[in-house]
Amino acid sequence: MTIWIAVGIFVLILSWIIFTYNSLVFYKNEVQNAWKQIDVQLKRRHDLIPNMVSVVKGYMAYERDILERVISARAMALSSSGVRARAACESQLTQALQGLFAVMENYPVLKSVESVMELQEELKSTENKIAFSRQFYNDLVANLRTKIEVFPNNIIAGLFGFGKAEYYSAEEDDRLRPPAQTVNRP
Amino acid sequence: MPLTFIEIEKQKTWRIGVFYFILVGLYFFTMFAFVQGFLFIFPYNYLKTGSFFIWHYPGALVTVTAIAVVLAGVHFWFSASGASDTVMTSLGAANPDPEDGVHRQLRNVVDEIHVVTGRTKKIDCMVIPSLSLNAIAVEDLNGHAVIGITEGLLSRLTRPQLEAVLAHEAYHILSNDCIQATVATSLFGMYAAMLEKIQDFGDEERGRGLHPVFFLFWTLTKLGQMLNLFISREREYRADAASVRMTRDPVAMAEALYFLSRNWRSTGLVGSGLEMLCIANPEESEQEEDEGFWQNLMSTHPPIMKRIDILLSMAHADISILNKDAAAATGTIKAGNQDDRYYLMDPHSRWQGPYSPGELASLSWLSPVTWTRTSHGRTVRRASEDSLIHDLLAERVNKMDGKSSSLACPLCRQPLARITYEKTHIDQCRFCGGSLIENDKIPRIVARREEVCTERVKSLARAVLTDNQRKISLRKIKGGPHDASHPVYCPKCGHPMFRTFYSLAYLIEIDRCGICGLTWFDQDELEMLQCVIENKIAADL
Repeated sequence: MTIWIAVGIFVLILSWIIFTYNSLVFYKNEVQNAWKQIDVQLKRRHDLIPNMVSVVKGYMAYERDILERVISARAMALSSSGVRARAACESQLTQALQGLFAVMENYPVLKSVESVMELQEELKSTENKIAFSRQFYNDLVANLRTKIEVFPNNIIAGLFGFGKAEYYSAEEDDRLRPPAQTVNRP
Repeated sequence: MPLTFIEIEKQKTWRIGVFYFILVGLYFFTMFAFVQGFLFIFPYNYLKTGSFFIWHYPGALVTVTAIAVVLAGVHFWFSASGASDTVMTSLGAANPDPEDGVHRQLRNVVDEIHVVTGRTKKIDCMVIPSLSLNAIAVEDLNGHAVIGITEGLLSRLTRPQLEAVLAHEAYHILSNDCIQATVATSLFGMYAAMLEKIQDFGDEERGRGLHPVFFLFWTLTKLGQMLNLFISREREYRADAASVRMTRDPVAMAEALYFLSRNWRSTGLVGSGLEMLCIANPEESEQEEDEGFWQNLMSTHPPIMKRIDILLSMAHADISILNKDAAAATGTIKAGNQDDRYYLMDPHSRWQGPYSPGELASLSWLSPVTWTRTSHGRTVRRASEDSLIHDLLAERVNKMDGKSSSLACPLCRQPLARITYEKTHIDQCRFCGGSLIENDKIPRIVARREEVCTERVKSLARAVLTDNQRKISLRKIKGGPHDASHPVYCPKCGHPMFRTFYSLAYLIEIDRCGICGLTWFDQDELEMLQCVIENKIAADL
């Protein structure tokens, strides 16, 4: 009789371990997939920037340094690897691009050039997609971290060596900057 | 349960099952009544078994049930499987045009929504050619999900607002709100229109009779209305919250709702029953803005002001920022000040004027070397040296600088130029200023407000409207013939175009080709039409 109870408990524990392990693997893969999604968008941005620069160059001869900053930031981002380093380089690129867009506002002539407007819309959309996929990625990372850290699961995670995924963190300067939409606080 | 960004609620498909059983019940009772009536009228069976009632005939009862189940199944299948397409076709929606700037942006924003939801589900978008402001989401049993958005709303929202609205609709689709509502609508909602037709028919012929078909449709309609009981107002709050969670911009959502609350939102639907699929109820009613047990039970949308309040409290803001923004938006339109007047030297070396900037734009002899003088300045200079006239001329050059179209101007016989007007492509004549536009592009041009309506066009429009109204009234009284002026020939097929009013509400004359679906606007007619609709100008008589 007791042997059966022992076997029963053993089977229960084993199935719990299998279940937890599998769900952790599932979440880990989701996080990796989300990271790939960010990658796709970042790559698209890297592809669009040379086009943008070459089209705008003719109109903005006096803004060479801004264009050069964008190009060098892109080159930096292309050569970086790892979540943290990547995030830092890409945030540099985002800032350089925002500087370019701000300067472009001073050239009304650009508004009537259709290819510039198209490229700008594409870049803006890609920027948004990067932000959104980062948001999605970070949500998944938070989820995975919770799964790994809560009580019974942390035993399994420690046993099989599940590492914590890294957040794709927002750039430091973002927090210092005032929000885009200023609101009246009551 | 797959992990997604928004917590998808438990599948609520059991309600769709309920719809099916309601249908079965309905068909069963109809068949039952029919067979029972038959038994009363033909008492052949009575002579055999001594009973009038159907429940004494198990065979008949089984047959009736079987037929009811099959009929309900057929009905269900036909109305629910392709419902997205049915609804969208009935609204006249079309796929976004890849050549159109605004539509391209819409497509990009939908892509962004896909990214933010982790590409859980493919969502199509379509554009409804209507000036009203509304958005609608549908999904059918085939899993085909579509978000429809009117040209009016598309042209008036900023990019963040559009994102918020689409995220709201996408949540409805992802949370399965839409599939229920769409199925319910296609099962029961569409009968309202049929019912109205039958009532009209009955009134004319022999008074209001209680036709069995009438009874069936009446029941279906009432059932459709009762479905509102199923649809909780809460889900609109939830969708607003999800939209904020996706876009992280509560103010944009509040702005969009505020904007909707102050404008015409009817999508021009034939029957009722689609309102539960819209972002804001197309039929404004007092009930909608109240809260109470009955109102909560029966209406599909919560009070819009309450939705705005919740969103604003997320942003720690109050309603005043919306009012301020609205005021700023109207301010920019009026900013093009008209206080400067210009005197110009015409080709015969005579001073002409004073002209307002709007009038200058239409002067055909104005060139960069024309001598100009402002009303309060004494100095005389070339037109190109004045910044305002320079801009006007630059705009004129920009407009001319387009690719040539394959079609020729029906008046001047010169090739038309393909230009971008209100972010879409139209064919315009460089010489007479007339434009040729595909019919499906007219609503979106009319809806967009990038081109500012000048004083000159406004007064011209007022005069033309008054004149046309007078003509129509005279024709009605006297019954005189249609004035047969020389027709314009369609540049594409060569058939004469017919001269008609854009609509009886907007009495601007245009030329239409009934074969190619093209419309010819003479110079200023397009601008006048836009101006009349935008400023709600009426004929003064």
